[in-house]
Amino acid sequence: MPVRMGIFLCDCGGSLKNIDFPKVRENLENLEDIAFVDITHNLCLEEGEKAITSRILTENINRVVIAACSPEFRERNFGELLEKLRLNPGLLSLANIREQCSWAHEGDVTRKALELIMMAVGKARLLQPVERKEVAVNNEVLVVGGGFCGMKSSLELSQLGIRTTLVEREPTLGGKLKKLEGFYSSQIEAMIKAIEKAENIEILTSAEVTGVEGKIGDFKVRMRGTKEILRSFGAIVFATGYKTEVAAGDFPLKPGVNIISQERLVQLLQAPTLEARPETIGFIFDLSDENPRFPTLATLNNALAVKQRWGSEVYVFCKNVKVDSEGVEKLYREAREDGVMFLKFDKNPKISADDGRVKIDAEDTLLGEEIVLTCDLVVAEEKLLPAEGTEGLSSLLKIRTDSQGFYQEENVHLYPVSSERKGIFFVGNCRGDLDLGRVLADISSVVAKVYELLPPGKVIVEAERVKADPQKCVACLTCIRVCPHRAVQLVQVDSEKVVAEISQLACDKCGICAAICPAKAIKFEGYSDDQILAQIEAIGVS
Amino acid sequence: MNGEIIAFCCEHSAYAAADVVGKQGLHYPEKLRVIRVPCAGRVDIIHMLKALEEGAAAVLVLGCEDGLCQHLTGNVRAKERVKYSETLLTEVGIDGGRVGMFNLAANAPHKFIKIINEVNDRIKERERENDSR
Amino acid sequence: MKAERSIVVIGGGIAGITSALELANSGFTVYLVEKEARIGGQAASFCCKATEVCTKCSACLLPQKLSEVASYPQISILTNSMVVGVKGELGNFQVEVCQKPQYISPQKCIACGMCTEVCPTMPKAIQSPPPEAVPYSYSINESQCLRLKGKKCNLCREICPTNAIVFGQKPERQELNNIGAIIVAIGFDVFNAREIGYLGYGRYPNVLTGFDLERIFRNQGSLKLSSNGKEPKKVAFIQCVGSRDENHGYCSQVCCKYAMRLARLIKHQKPDAEVTIFYIDLQTAGKGFAEFYKECQGNIRFIRGVPVEISEAPSDEVEVKFENITEGKVDRENFDFVTLSVGIAPRKDSWELAKVLGINLGDDGFFDIKEPFNSTETNVEGIFLAGACQSPKDIPDSIAHGISAAERAMEVLKRCQ
Repeated sequence: MPVRMGIFLCDCGGSLKNIDFPKVRENLENLEDIAFVDITHNLCLEEGEKAITSRILTENINRVVIAACSPEFRERNFGELLEKLRLNPGLLSLANIREQCSWAHEGDVTRKALELIMMAVGKARLLQPVERKEVAVNNEVLVVGGGFCGMKSSLELSQLGIRTTLVEREPTLGGKLKKLEGFYSSQIEAMIKAIEKAENIEILTSAEVTGVEGKIGDFKVRMRGTKEILRSFGAIVFATGYKTEVAAGDFPLKPGVNIISQERLVQLLQAPTLEARPETIGFIFDLSDENPRFPTLATLNNALAVKQRWGSEVYVFCKNVKVDSEGVEKLYREAREDGVMFLKFDKNPKISADDGRVKIDAEDTLLGEEIVLTCDLVVAEEKLLPAEGTEGLSSLLKIRTDSQGFYQEENVHLYPVSSERKGIFFVGNCRGDLDLGRVLADISSVVAKVYELLPPGKVIVEAERVKADPQKCVACLTCIRVCPHRAVQLVQVDSEKVVAEISQLACDKCGICAAICPAKAIKFEGYSDDQILAQIEAIGVS
Repeated sequence: MNGEIIAFCCEHSAYAAADVVGKQGLHYPEKLRVIRVPCAGRVDIIHMLKALEEGAAAVLVLGCEDGLCQHLTGNVRAKERVKYSETLLTEVGIDGGRVGMFNLAANAPHKFIKIINEVNDRIKERERENDSR
Repeated sequence: MKAERSIVVIGGGIAGITSALELANSGFTVYLVEKEARIGGQAASFCCKATEVCTKCSACLLPQKLSEVASYPQISILTNSMVVGVKGELGNFQVEVCQKPQYISPQKCIACGMCTEVCPTMPKAIQSPPPEAVPYSYSINESQCLRLKGKKCNLCREICPTNAIVFGQKPERQELNNIGAIIVAIGFDVFNAREIGYLGYGRYPNVLTGFDLERIFRNQGSLKLSSNGKEPKKVAFIQCVGSRDENHGYCSQVCCKYAMRLARLIKHQKPDAEVTIFYIDLQTAGKGFAEFYKECQGNIRFIRGVPVEISEAPSDEVEVKFENITEGKVDRENFDFVTLSVGIAPRKDSWELAKVLGINLGDDGFFDIKEPFNSTETNVEGIFLAGACQSPKDIPDSIAHGISAAERAMEVLKRCQ
């Protein structure tokens, strides 16, 4: 069908005085495939909408060019208007003659305005409609990790009516926090009961994820338990947690009977009887500045517990008290009021053995004096690290981790819980050093995101916005390797041929694949090579 | 074309910054022509070379700051392609400085203006050098 | 079903906008009620702090979200508006909104600027919007406008091509019915540094707050002293101004990070500048921040100390007298620019909204939560909290909280169906 184009020029209420609109119109009307060129005043308002509507309904055009203000706000609105008028929004091309032309330069800008419009016209000639279609997606979710985070995520998903499978590599659910008395363990017990009762949560214990293929709406996950399992899920939420390591490198003495971890301290605190109550306990943390939230919270909570349960003398040695989480400043003040002594150092203290006890030699920066303290028990700094298996899993998923090895690249667009692969999410401490408030925000965020991307029923996608031509594709795998969103797969088209197929649901429309394809087999409608070259060629031809 | 500056602008960063510049009423050389792209990584070497072939004075790719690209590697790939174009141009005896990659964020209109003005100054200097020969 | 699919979000900052987008993407209709003339909140005036790499401050996420919010048909933005009454309950609230006279209707203003050209006053009473403004429409400064001061002038009204200007407006009330839930996202007040008199804010032109500095970089691209137009040579940042004191028993969470990022930016633009940060406890938590801090230690001076007085010094400098905790003595140093890293304070008008909605304020003046570890629900079923109005948060945490609040609202509504 031959191109028949309608052009609308908006003069923004007549205010774009440095553009000679009649001259622009004159130049455009001379072109072959232009049906009309209208000068209007307020395309963004109702009267503008009416002007566009009446023209499109009476003229038989199949391309629309609008020269007005920035497409940043207008693209969607004009597109929706066209759709209402039964014209595919993909046939619309915009020229920014206001913010990036009239307003940006002194003097007459008629020539530039005409060129920008010619660029849009050149592109419009080559535009093709992009249809939308409904696709059925699997909206079952896999939650990997049966600790606090994983369990809470499963429960919240299930409450929104989403079928969930919870996979845990240990034989039981509960994770690390199960061992903590009080608030956490009671919460966890309650959650385990609720999960067992829930009809739409399936539990798989003693099982691990060994492979993930596919894309959002259709992830094929291989798991190994007592046998091999192959299942399909719409989205995957990783809540694989963390591990702690006593900061052995910074301690000249090995952890032992008198130098213990926070976990060991909690065990002692929870023990029904205690052989010898330690009179003096020292906590040391913040030797490095990495991942301080976790050790700060553990120290404050445990220091208070020691005071309350044993009444020992408690000293906390740290460089800076890390209070940047909700409620921590108050906890810090409470600890001080309860008699916990905080000593701040600028230089790391010296730790040595002293006749069965531990001697800490530190320079207290507030007093400006050297303090030598001999403790019965020293609780060492623990580093928060990615859980065992994170590196393996991330390369399995082909997902980048941050500089410390935690999930999720340090890219602000991914926060809070997304990854570069649509449909794969990370919640909790597996993605870094969070406190409980932030972990809970993670959990509800991921539930919202899953619900948004995989609503009940069908999902509407653009059918072929970015497409690899099976005739030209030679299956070199470049696009598959290069796609940052892992949205491309190889599919079999007949008995002999495999070609690349781009999932419209997973594609984030960056065009990196289209640029890199050596065979130029990938067409990105709206930003194809011809459509870009047409804009280049239109410059200067006036 | 006749000495225009072609700028491929990522819609998330440079294109948005250029809009802000216009709204602030700040000006830059009229010879700039912006081509909007969804990501700097969409820009291919052929696009840059074609623009120069058509007579552009300079071709720029403007993308997100290092570490900010929504598509993780788009700005990195664009930089590699610009560098490669530079070497191609130098090999055939054309000033490699006529292509360039720059990074900015959507809320940095001043950086946009600084980049365009600096490129324009370099173009004028090259013209002066050519004239004096 | 339709009755519960409308949600009112009060506050158009980063958290409110995030909640609105999340809800709209999940099929809800949203009324975004904003007190000021434009949405965007505090983050709209933040600058990009990239040096050679992005420093993850997340300020640039806002412009992207603003474009989305402005172009979603399911989101109605009501600016210059406040919620003045609420009736009903979860699933079926009636929310009364009062809109103050705008004089220029944002629905009709196309920002052509012809009104400002003909405005006879100096400075102009009709002002163009800041570039990040959404809605992008002009506004009238009531104290400058001749017509609003009772004089005869119709110049702007006559020239406006869309008849967007109407004088003689009165506050307008409208009732939003069938509202399923309400999300409160009114954000925070910047701590008023004038309350700490000895720091000299408002007295010395070269003592400004971190928020002032963000605005300067945003609008001008670089820091130049007002006194001589040159870049400063000796810059100081003072942490914990209005946080962790008797009246604010919390850490504002954003100050150490923004100070270090701004300090790095200053060093990047003027490598021979000397930058010092005075702190009590340095907050360096967060993804990738430990590495950033290590880099900062390379060329920024960190002094554990508490400034006790800022006084005038020759050549427009200021003298900072401070307790150097590490060295155990009192020191004095001159700087040509001092940034007070002010914290996040609860909004002074939050008690009004609390009264209207029937929700409680907590000890610190932020909105109170229903129970510990459930930070988006209030004591009123169907009313939720998003963002810094609940407790201090940075931009990424405000976004997460905004999504959380939306999720909670959707989940609670589903349960009550």
